[in-house]
Amino acid sequence: MLVLARKVGQSIVINDNVEVLVIEVRGDQVRLGIEAPRTIPVHRKELLEQIRAQNVNAAGDSNPEVVAKALNDLAFD
Amino acid sequence: MKAETSRFGAIEVEESSIIKMPRGPIGFEQYTSFVLVEHRPDTDFSWLQSTEESSLAFVVVDPSKFYADYEVEVSDADAEKLNLKSASDASVLVVVTVSSGEEITANLAAPVVINMKEMLGMQVILQDNRYPIKHPLVAIVEKCATKTEEITAKAA
Repeated sequence: MLVLARKVGQSIVINDNVEVLVIEVRGDQVRLGIEAPRTIPVHRKELLEQIRAQNVNAAGDSNPEVVAKALNDLAFD
Repeated sequence: MKAETSRFGAIEVEESSIIKMPRGPIGFEQYTSFVLVEHRPDTDFSWLQSTEESSLAFVVVDPSKFYADYEVEVSDADAEKLNLKSASDASVLVVVTVSSGEEITANLAAPVVINMKEMLGMQVILQDNRYPIKHPLVAIVEKCATKTEEITAKAA
């Protein structure tokens, strides 16, 4: 991993089309401004991890009868 | 073609009904070919079944069935991967989780968007943080139950 020290107002440039700017540092929180082409997805890592975990749960097939019953019983208007 | 599935046995799959995912569902990125299998005709649920891995399937549902105001904004990056030019070509499904306590939730934060014209699909992550990963569907069941009771009471 590349480690760089930056001050508020300074930024790093990745691949000459992504810029990450340090906007503010307050306690243990850092606010970043990210400038990237709209075709580059930017997400908080923990969100990705939560979605991954939820998908793993959703795909679980340890209890097919419970799932089938729950779905059969659930009707929308 | 035939696809082996752990839940439905061997199923016959029309080539034209295969949904190709340029990137598989999050956490399952290596699986890129799926097909929709109806759960039961009298329910609103379907299964997004992998044609590559027999045991991999997700319960999915059309979110408009329970969330009228749900809005999906597909990013330019995702629209490009899906070759999606018009919103009218897109079909949106959300992944449903049934946990052991029979609690049913829908993932509104990361819907599956399918370009029906080209049968290209992808699980996208919405930038809109108003939508939870675990949106409970149980409340709707209760509402339905209450309504049924009301109707029954009226009938009586």
